[in-house]
Amino acid sequence: MSLRRRTLLKVIVLGDSGVGKTSLMNQYVHKKFSQQYKATIGADFVTKELQIDDRLVTLQIWDTAGQERFQSLGVAFYRGADCCVLVYDVNVMKSFDTLENWHEEFLKQANPPDPRAFPFILLGNKIDIDGGNSRVVSEKKAKDWCASKGNIPYFETSAKEDYNVDAAFLCIAKAALANEHEQDIYFQGIPEAAVPENEQRGGCAC
Amino acid sequence: MLDGTEDEEKFLAAGIAGLQQNSFYMHRALDSNNLRDALKYSAQMLSELRTSKLSPHKYYELYMRAFDQLRKLEMFFEEETRRGCSIIDLYELVQHAGNILPRLYLLCTVGSVYIKSKEAPAKDVLKDLVEMCRGIQHPVRGLFLRSYLSQVSRDKLPDIGSEYEGDADTVADAVEFVLQNFTEMNKLWVRMQHQGPAREKEKREKERSELRDLVGKNLHVLSQIEGVDLDMYKDVVLPRVLEQVVNCKDELAQFYLMDCIIQVFPDEYHLQTLDVLLGAYPQLQTSVDIKTVLSQLMERLSNYAASSAEVLPEFLQVEAFSKLSNAIGKVIEAQPDMPTVGVVTLYSSLLTFTLHVHPERLDYADQVLGACVKKLSGKGKIEDNKATKQIVALLSAPLEKYNDIMTALKLSNYPRVMEYLDIPTTKVMATVIIQSIMKNGTRISTSEKVEALFELIKGLIKDSDGIPNDELDEDDFKEEQNSVARLIQMLYNDDAEEMFKIIDTVRKHILTGGPKRLPFTVPPLVFSSLKLVRQLQGQEENPFGDDASTTPKKIFQLLNQTIETLSGVLAPELALQLYLQCAEAANDCDLEPVAYEFFTQAYILYEEEISDSRAQITAIHLIIGTLQRMHVFGVENRDTLTHKATGYSAKLLKKPDQCRAVYACSHLFWVDDHDNMKDGERVLLCLKRALRIANAAQQMANAARGSTGSVMLFIEILNKYLYFFEKGNLQVTVAAIQGLIELIMNEMQGDTTTPDPAADAFLASTMRYIEFQKQKGGAVGEKYEAIKVSHAG
Ligand SMILES: Nc1nc2c(ncn2[C@@H]2O[C@H](COP(=O)(O)OP(=O)(O)OP(=O)(O)O)[C@@H](O)[C@H]2O)c(=O)[nH]1
Ligand SMILES: [Mg+2]
Repeated sequence: MSLRRRTLLKVIVLGDSGVGKTSLMNQYVHKKFSQQYKATIGADFVTKELQIDDRLVTLQIWDTAGQERFQSLGVAFYRGADCCVLVYDVNVMKSFDTLENWHEEFLKQANPPDPRAFPFILLGNKIDIDGGNSRVVSEKKAKDWCASKGNIPYFETSAKEDYNVDAAFLCIAKAALANEHEQDIYFQGIPEAAVPENEQRGGCAC
Repeated sequence: MLDGTEDEEKFLAAGIAGLQQNSFYMHRALDSNNLRDALKYSAQMLSELRTSKLSPHKYYELYMRAFDQLRKLEMFFEEETRRGCSIIDLYELVQHAGNILPRLYLLCTVGSVYIKSKEAPAKDVLKDLVEMCRGIQHPVRGLFLRSYLSQVSRDKLPDIGSEYEGDADTVADAVEFVLQNFTEMNKLWVRMQHQGPAREKEKREKERSELRDLVGKNLHVLSQIEGVDLDMYKDVVLPRVLEQVVNCKDELAQFYLMDCIIQVFPDEYHLQTLDVLLGAYPQLQTSVDIKTVLSQLMERLSNYAASSAEVLPEFLQVEAFSKLSNAIGKVIEAQPDMPTVGVVTLYSSLLTFTLHVHPERLDYADQVLGACVKKLSGKGKIEDNKATKQIVALLSAPLEKYNDIMTALKLSNYPRVMEYLDIPTTKVMATVIIQSIMKNGTRISTSEKVEALFELIKGLIKDSDGIPNDELDEDDFKEEQNSVARLIQMLYNDDAEEMFKIIDTVRKHILTGGPKRLPFTVPPLVFSSLKLVRQLQGQEENPFGDDASTTPKKIFQLLNQTIETLSGVLAPELALQLYLQCAEAANDCDLEPVAYEFFTQAYILYEEEISDSRAQITAIHLIIGTLQRMHVFGVENRDTLTHKATGYSAKLLKKPDQCRAVYACSHLFWVDDHDNMKDGERVLLCLKRALRIANAAQQMANAARGSTGSVMLFIEILNKYLYFFEKGNLQVTVAAIQGLIELIMNEMQGDTTTPDPAADAFLASTMRYIEFQKQKGGAVGEKYEAIKVSHAG
């Protein structure tokens, strides 16, 4: 691959509705936060450029709908992901319990070459609420889960207070970058057979 | 035509292969900075998206691959412009691509770089692109193309605070662009249903449903635009979106988009535009499932209200409740065929809403229930499973909100709604109510409230009109009735008059319960009543001679009648226990005739109803135990009762049981702290009688088995002797004790004796006790000194 091109890293953010996926991204990319809940529909991405050890990388962060009924087209966009970010709300037990599903479903659909080595990162969001008094998932419980999944890095965040958001995404970017290197080795089968030049339909006029 | 997923897989695979091949050459061109080839191969790659053979899901897969490649092309374009290539030229250049679909994808890609370069106002480029996309009228291809446009332009909209905002570019342009794209996409989407043969309609609807998020996504984009403040939302966004929704006259689109509007825009906006939003509902197609959409709106607003008390004034200010209430009324009126479940769902959502927003306005809640009753009336009991579930949800809502059945009891329409439940659901609801009371420790403290409560839970209290309960599982029945029993014990008031009324009310209800329920419900009522008796007991009896006031006597009268019902339902043992409880309570109140009456009742039951020998043993010991504690009886009454008790004891079926009951009777003649109840002679008579029976038992055992039976009974009697000896009963002499010990020793050493380790141990410890008492010294030691203990074998 040529050196002059920037590296594009694809990151998928998953988790139940309302855990703060969109808010975390908005905080990270646009440095803003809104108290209002606006459901995400389907999936789309924002990009953020950052430098990691002399390398300019573009993070393509895919925000997804936590509500199943707003994910009608399926998850074809998982393909080619370099890192998967799982988010739950430390104040809502159910959002922690469903992590298992999100994790499993992602591996099943994205089908990475080596599922066990695929980088995940877990974010426990909304730690600001009620000064942490209303949290129902302890840090230990989350870390135990991460350990059971092959030592997934774990961050406790607050999109509202902009706590740990940059750190988490930097870690995400690094994990994605590391994964990208690995994938280069297996770079998907490019057809070796030369394509006859003039057989193509509807050729380009330029 | 594709007629199977297999074919579709093949088409997809072919598409992917073509795409990969061309993207390979595109990459090579990018690596060598060959713009011409890059454009050529990217166009060829994009040609794969011209297929009409894929379902939306599969098409999306292909699209995503193309999408990923286009990101690389986009970076290349950016670099090209940085190297001095004019973006305007590039924008021109890509328009030479031969096929329209690849051309438009390329145009959007360059367009994105164009906006970023700021060489032209964003709004012009956007406008140009959104117009050009009209060139694709094939629904699936068009929808994906436009969604591509939406995706690449997302971060380049001239939003407030965005770097693309400027004199020429305002947020209004951003909104206009998204609205236009939305409108076009919705048209494509709606039109899709009319394309293709009628027989494939079902498949088409499924495919349309899969595509819905592409259209809805635009609304999400709108909601994310910073500059869409309440005014702009109210004046531009909502009217334009609703116009499109209403005018498209398409069921699927209307249902889905209304849901989207509710979910993607913030709560405050909905509150401030309720009129407009609700005004759209009646204009939707009649086939649209309005109840679900409306419920979702109310649910969302309820959650908002519950999130913080600070937002409640907003709700009041816009009179949200009455608006929603009206809207629901209209919808229900307009859809006379709406199934019951729909009606109830709507009211249930409205109730939840008002409970959250106006917790203090019980009249609102009652109003909602009343409206629901009105709609249900004439429909008879509801049998539809889903509908009854909704009613349970409806009726549970106030309980959950207030954690207090008392509040629900204030809702006059609450019981009226319950009327519509079928029998099983009535019970479910009754159980929910009882659980709420238990969980919250709710105090129900007036007879009126009790009356209302029992009216609500009558499903558990009695068989509903003539339908017996036999199909009910035994365990379920027990659990139900136990919960009623727990409830009865929770009903309490400090004030004796009121408490008496409560008891009377409960009594009235439970007596309708029939033979299976009474054994569960009578005991807690009896104990509640006795609690009241104890409370009154300390007080001056009837200070004003006022007949109306509650006295223990009055309560006992009621109790007598209540317990009597049990003997009629084949629960004589339970009745006997309760009579004895009452007798003891009457004793503590110094009411001799009452206590005597209860004993008489217990004796009658014993004689006439209790025939099982095990039950008799239990009963007789209860009788003896209770009678022993009675001190209210005069000599005559006492004599009668003890005489009978001893008589019953001696008549038990088996000798050992007789023996034990008879020696227990000895206690009836020796009551500590009551000198007038110490009759040493009769004590001794009992013990001697017990010895005789023990002897007879021994002989019977001998005759039957040729071996001596256990000496256990004798050791037990010895212990009784020691007890009374120690208590100072002079009739019990050292000689008698000595004689008994010898008798036991002999028996145990006899040849035919069956070894009995338990008896050995018991005897040994009895002997140790005697030793121990001797060593104590003092008066006791002296007493015991006279007893000679010869050690066995
Ligand atoms: N207090 C607090 N609130 C937060 C935080 N993050 C998000 N929220 C709020 O939580 C709600 C939901 O946030 P979103 O970011 O929309 O949640 P989401 O995961 O994108 O939800 P979906 O799009 O439905 O999947 C919003 O009202 C946010 O304001 C946080 O860190 N602290
Ligand atoms: Mg979101």
